[in-house]
Amino acid sequence: MLRNTRRETLVALVLIAPFLAIYGLTFVYPTVAMVNLSFTDAPLIGPGQWVGFDNYTRLAGERRFDTAFWNTAYFVALSVIPGTFVAMVIALGVSRLTGRMQALVLALFFLPYILPVSVVYRLWDWTLNFQFGIAMYVFDIWGIERVPIFKTTTWFMPAVAFVTIWWTCGFSILLFLAGLRAIPAEIYEAASLDNTGRWTMFRRITWPLLWPVTALVTTIQLILQLKIFDQVYLFSTGGRPNDNLVLVYYIFQRAFVNNQGGRAAAIAVVLFLIVVIVSVLNFQLMRLAERRK
Amino acid sequence: MTNYKVTGSVMLLAGFMSTAAQAEVVVEWWDFLGGGDGVRMKQLIEEFNAEHAGEISIQATTLEWGVPFYTKVQTSVAVGEAPDIMTYHASRIPLAVSQNVLSEITADDWATMGLGEGDFASATWDAVTIDSAQYAVPLDTHPIVLYYNKELLSAAGVLTDDGVPMGMDSLEGFTETMRALQSNGVKFPLGSVTADGNFMFRTIYSLVGQQGGELITDGEFLTGDNAEKLANALAVLQDWTNEGLQSTYTDYPATVALFTSGEAAMMINGVWEVPTMTDLNAAGNLFEWGAVELPMIFDQRATYADSHSFAIPAGDMDPETRAATLEVMSWMLKNSLFWATAGHIPAYAPVTATAEYAAMEPNATYSPLTANMIFDPKSPLAGVAGPIFDVMSTYFVPTLNGEMDPTEAVEEIIIELNDM
Repeated sequence: MLRNTRRETLVALVLIAPFLAIYGLTFVYPTVAMVNLSFTDAPLIGPGQWVGFDNYTRLAGERRFDTAFWNTAYFVALSVIPGTFVAMVIALGVSRLTGRMQALVLALFFLPYILPVSVVYRLWDWTLNFQFGIAMYVFDIWGIERVPIFKTTTWFMPAVAFVTIWWTCGFSILLFLAGLRAIPAEIYEAASLDNTGRWTMFRRITWPLLWPVTALVTTIQLILQLKIFDQVYLFSTGGRPNDNLVLVYYIFQRAFVNNQGGRAAAIAVVLFLIVVIVSVLNFQLMRLAERRK
Repeated sequence: MTNYKVTGSVMLLAGFMSTAAQAEVVVEWWDFLGGGDGVRMKQLIEEFNAEHAGEISIQATTLEWGVPFYTKVQTSVAVGEAPDIMTYHASRIPLAVSQNVLSEITADDWATMGLGEGDFASATWDAVTIDSAQYAVPLDTHPIVLYYNKELLSAAGVLTDDGVPMGMDSLEGFTETMRALQSNGVKFPLGSVTADGNFMFRTIYSLVGQQGGELITDGEFLTGDNAEKLANALAVLQDWTNEGLQSTYTDYPATVALFTSGEAAMMINGVWEVPTMTDLNAAGNLFEWGAVELPMIFDQRATYADSHSFAIPAGDMDPETRAATLEVMSWMLKNSLFWATAGHIPAYAPVTATAEYAAMEPNATYSPLTANMIFDPKSPLAGVAGPIFDVMSTYFVPTLNGEMDPTEAVEEIIIELNDM
């Protein structure tokens, strides 16, 4: 049968046109405009003068950029691997349960995930507030000195990472559970016939077969946590904002507090590049690890 | 047949309604007054609408205070969807003018409103003036004051016969008052918002002003001995923390709670908390209390204040709406005696000169501070929720809680201010 390739191309184009139009309007165009903006001294709204690479070169000597960069890296380190690990452990536990019990436990772990960030903030502020937080009364009973958790640089990032893991691990648990259910039961049966220990079973069967899901979860987490903003913003309101800066918070400060759209765009471009590089690297590393198995 | 009649009368009715709506000018209003003062403002708006029925009607929307409000104003002006009138902090005016967000209040406008420079305190008038043009009409000034628990102070023997705290004219005197409270078993003689450096900016700026210092001199931050003055102010507060005289790591709601529950005997806070105290007291849930001007810790009196003012967003506006908007502003100022029940000091001097105002408590007790008010420095970097706030807050919090040396904090502050 003869194929009319021209006609097919035309149909294909017509079919993808709506997507292309929306994608171009809501993603490509703003991205190009942002890159353009980063070379100007524009305020938050309105045009500016072309300043070349000035907005980029001055980032090198900026304290707030430095803080924001390292805090973001620190936060990613504190949340991505530990978050993935916690979710996997919980998923392994939940998968041993059956029926209603499993549904109930799973629902309990998933519950925090559906909360909006403002509620999460309220809950944890209520728990850890220095003067009235319920955890502080527990500290008092145990004779531990009260700690102003969200007001010290030592505790801030670990605490926010902890809250974030508590908040978001429900989703990762679901992914891991799906992964676990996809492993055929026969493999485990065969292994137990061979008298395989639990640890070996995990190391030789579960871990390698779950690897694609693990890779997916870490990648999602990595991209998500590089873009952290809400929790850090809420928990540092009125506290020590400039010590707790992360990259997106710094973009917000430059754009909406300092009214410097151009400089904010430059940071946004840098973050964009970081996310691209890190996720590509992460993906390649994961593939490499898989091949070696 | 009946159907035609009905349709006819409906059309007639609709015709009347539309002419009525045409005659009535709708003034779109945005404010950020969400607390006890918001309730009082809504009452004023209702009164205005009732009095101007058929002529002017205010359609009010209350929005989230701070960066969200000011960002929304800026974007709405950019796309021509701004309201006709909005509340604005005087301290934010320099930034707003540099962003071309505000419409100038011209001499003609002032004449139309029947208001002028002579009706306001000079510091307040100056706060809405940029390059000898005015950009807002001040409704009030809202300074910070010292709230105190009369029962606790009296029990510790540090309440004067006039019912105000003792030792209000020197650092030593005030510290003694706090020590007396402490030895009388009060947990926190002073409730301080030590977890919120943004808030403490108001207190610390007042203390810098009490030494005659300033934050910005000719566009330079903390020049000459101004840095030392800031360090002095921080040192005083840190000493209080070290002696256990003030609450540590306390955020705003917790501070108010410490005071209203009697755990803190005194509190430095904005006058906007007056309605909270009045209402609690009226409901029989609060001790006898008072509010006075801040103690004089250094050589002169000075208190930080800001002003809620009315501004008109930049952009095209038809003459009728503008006239109606001016009428709204003028009416609000002339009826601002009721606004004083929200704690604020009306900016319109003829109101504060009335006998009714003089009889109003605690306002009358702290009103004399109007003579010693200092406003934010006039810079696009200053103002509530502005960039200076974040820098200050970052170093105020550790210093106030005794974790950072005041001199070191000031050095860091200067570096960061210059890095903006």
